[in-house]
Amino acid sequence: MTLSIIAQMTVSGSLMGLVYALIAYGFQLTYATSKSVNFGQGELVMVSAFVSLTLITLGLPYWLVVLGGLFFGALLGLFVERAGVRLALEQRSEGWILLTIILGLLFFSVAENVWGRDDRPFPTPISQQPIHILAVDVTPVELSVAVGVFAIMGAIEIFKRQTLLGKAFDAVSADRDAGELMGISATQTVKLSYALSGVVAAVAGILVSPITTVGPTMASALVLKAFSVAVVAGLESGFGVVVVGMFLGALESIASFYLGSGWREAPGLVLLILALAIRPTGVFGKTLIRKV
Amino acid sequence: MWKRLLLIRGAELLMFAVLLALPLAVQNNYLLGLLTLLSIYGILLIGLDVTVGYLGQVNLAQAAFLGIGAYTAGLFVTKLGAGFLVSALAATAVATALGALLALPALRLEGPQFALATLSFTALNVTVLNEMEWLTGGAQGLSLSRPPLFGMSLSARGFYWLCMALFALVWLAMRNLLASQWGRAFEALRDSPIATDAMGVGTYRHKVAGFALGSALGGLAGALYAFNFQYLQPQAFVYELTVILLLGVVLGGRKSLWGAFVGATLVALLPNLLSNRTLFEFMSGAGFLFALFAAIRGLLRKTMRPFQAIAPVVATGVLVVGGLLVSNTEDWRKAIFALMLFSVVVGLPEGLMGFAAKFLSRLFRIPDPPPPAPSQLDGVLPPRRAMSGGPLLEIRDLKRHFGGVRALDGLSTTVREGHIHGLIGPNGSGKSTLVNVVSGLYTPSAGEVLLRGQPLPRGSLFETARTGVARTFQNLQLFTGMTALENIMVAMRGNYRRSRNLPLVLLGLGRTEEKQAQADALALLEFVGLGADWRTPAKDLTYGAQRFLEIARAVACKPAVLILDEPAAGLSHPDMRRQMEIIGRVHERGMTILLIEHHMDVVSELCNVVTVLDGGKVIAEGTPGEVKRHPKVIEAYLGEVEAGEAAAETPAPVPAT
Repeated sequence: MTLSIIAQMTVSGSLMGLVYALIAYGFQLTYATSKSVNFGQGELVMVSAFVSLTLITLGLPYWLVVLGGLFFGALLGLFVERAGVRLALEQRSEGWILLTIILGLLFFSVAENVWGRDDRPFPTPISQQPIHILAVDVTPVELSVAVGVFAIMGAIEIFKRQTLLGKAFDAVSADRDAGELMGISATQTVKLSYALSGVVAAVAGILVSPITTVGPTMASALVLKAFSVAVVAGLESGFGVVVVGMFLGALESIASFYLGSGWREAPGLVLLILALAIRPTGVFGKTLIRKV
Repeated sequence: MWKRLLLIRGAELLMFAVLLALPLAVQNNYLLGLLTLLSIYGILLIGLDVTVGYLGQVNLAQAAFLGIGAYTAGLFVTKLGAGFLVSALAATAVATALGALLALPALRLEGPQFALATLSFTALNVTVLNEMEWLTGGAQGLSLSRPPLFGMSLSARGFYWLCMALFALVWLAMRNLLASQWGRAFEALRDSPIATDAMGVGTYRHKVAGFALGSALGGLAGALYAFNFQYLQPQAFVYELTVILLLGVVLGGRKSLWGAFVGATLVALLPNLLSNRTLFEFMSGAGFLFALFAAIRGLLRKTMRPFQAIAPVVATGVLVVGGLLVSNTEDWRKAIFALMLFSVVVGLPEGLMGFAAKFLSRLFRIPDPPPPAPSQLDGVLPPRRAMSGGPLLEIRDLKRHFGGVRALDGLSTTVREGHIHGLIGPNGSGKSTLVNVVSGLYTPSAGEVLLRGQPLPRGSLFETARTGVARTFQNLQLFTGMTALENIMVAMRGNYRRSRNLPLVLLGLGRTEEKQAQADALALLEFVGLGADWRTPAKDLTYGAQRFLEIARAVACKPAVLILDEPAAGLSHPDMRRQMEIIGRVHERGMTILLIEHHMDVVSELCNVVTVLDGGKVIAEGTPGEVKRHPKVIEAYLGEVEAGEAAAETPAPVPAT
């Protein structure tokens, strides 16, 4: 009995953990090219979800809604890059941390006033009826999360490995100055990474909305856990965020079952602080050699 | 001198006098509440400025420490019946301890990771306060009544005076701290953490201490917050408050006590600003006009990038237009913060006070402080003692591998006391790795380094520097934002006991030593010929002067061994001569020097002994003359040629001048 509960918790928790992993992957994309991350990423998730919901209520077919949501996510990502990140990077300051927090606050306020403060259901053509597989109940919606996460991450990884633009992306990640000397525009690459990161956030929003409902605060808890995942896994390894994300998701769903749902966030935060104490570059991160 | 003191101190005195007297002049409970809040936020923001301004890290945990302080004080009052003093002290102590506990792991990180860690701490804090219902009352909140001070119950006005007095004390203590070696260490580690360690100052411990101090002030402010509102709720200490506090610090101006004051005023007034429509329209309009004016000026004079000029105009413009369209500004509170903050961060990165300080010092023509009188050089850098010539630094079978690359492959040599020991070798021969291992930047894979027969600490720049090995850097690692004099003063840590003792510093008892330190540092600056540039920020010095300053700074550590890593790299010929002359004079004062150099003439002229490296091993050692004729050296430098032929082609050393 207990075993089957633990199995159930592990499966549904780790499926949820994939969403954290996906948002954390969005951090990695921008960190690779510009050593910056969008602290307002949660708001990107939320606003994209709201925009998709609006498209649904307009009566658009689901595939068009998804496309529209992704496109909007990319636009938001580009806006964040232009307004919040580029200037700070030019000045080689860490002002981008503040500026992305500020933009997140702005998006939050706009969403709260445009769409209201209440949580709203997100209709989806995918069935919510649980299927019984090996003593564990899984809904197709939950499975769609896994499919979506792996699809988008896979697509981006293939893009990075197989296309010339992707190679440019990798080159700027490895050495910004050397990339510029080879005629790759670092600014354009950073833009691209923010657009991709916005797309990833939108995917996360669309995938998770049927489960969590849509509301201004829907992403604040999500993004906090994504931060934990990104720091624990390290900001370099895409494989790492998937592993850590699923682990964290399972851990917190078990913790909330045994300790009460209020403690849901605690394991991630404790894990984060522990990981920092033991391995500051992340479990899957590379140890840096300081050069002088 | 006096004018400067009078203006700066006078302004502080005037401000506190007005603030203290205000409740006597105006009997208004609402105003009193605002003023009380202002003093509490003042303390809180001064604490936050330590990490955000001085350590240069985005700290998102200050709201959590406010909450921790508030709840600690609240619980001491309600559960233990403690008095004012005890509960305030307990709040400060708990916040300090938790601050240090968070800082220990978190400050090993930089930039975004640190911000993430502090953000998570804030979230964890809210979770714990909410969920530990048996202690904190959870979401229900915690009610308390203001405890008596020394048995006397405090009226609202009495409490205000107490808060304001505490704010003034914190202000004074902080000013003393920032003017001391501590303040310099904070600034130094932000500019170059590596050099801060290499000067034996200790980056990590200063960061942790700074963060703990900021948290302590957060805890103190928390106790006052609890006594002021007498009702606590976990929801009051969430992420949003942290953002507002950051807004205060950034808008007021980082690295400035006045900035914290302006920021605190703003944070205390924000709710009013939003509820009073006319005030809001006036403020946003003024902000828009200011941004517009600054943008036109900045664009015409080309002092601003277009984005930096235009973005604040757009943001404040949205604020003005939005203010006219929106029916209820309270609903748009967050957007309004965001637009205000955005304009300031982009347009006025130094904050209101950073901007005002420049403007005011021009307006009142505040003179620069005069130079201190330099000390006698013999007192700072004692003349040559009797030199034994015995082994001082022994390197034994040292190895350092990077993956499969054997950068150092079993290297042994001995540096004798009073020598200038040259270290040469072709590119990639392991010179830099050797310096980095000896100075503690890298941990050796095997082998050991002894100083006077005692093993040096492994893999810690800081510990090694403390043991008596100072170094310069091939790629300069000056504290770029600090003046030449301050650069040297950072390194002169050991001589001044009082200026290290935190309680004494906070009380302002380190001043005489501070003057002594200035005079000593100036003597060293004159020693390298930079006496006239004492007030110049290191980044504005010429390249040559920066190299001289690096040497003076390392000498200021009074090391047993001074390691100079390519001190002549990139110097023009006249500067190189001057550099050699400086090294010669440092040596005359009895300093043992390990000199890594590319220029053969520098090595031949200065060194007593030269060690030649290739492939991570010693291939020759001897006097410069012997080494130059050594066949293996010729082979390493010139490839395989006839030995006699190559020796003849070696250019003759430049004759000494």
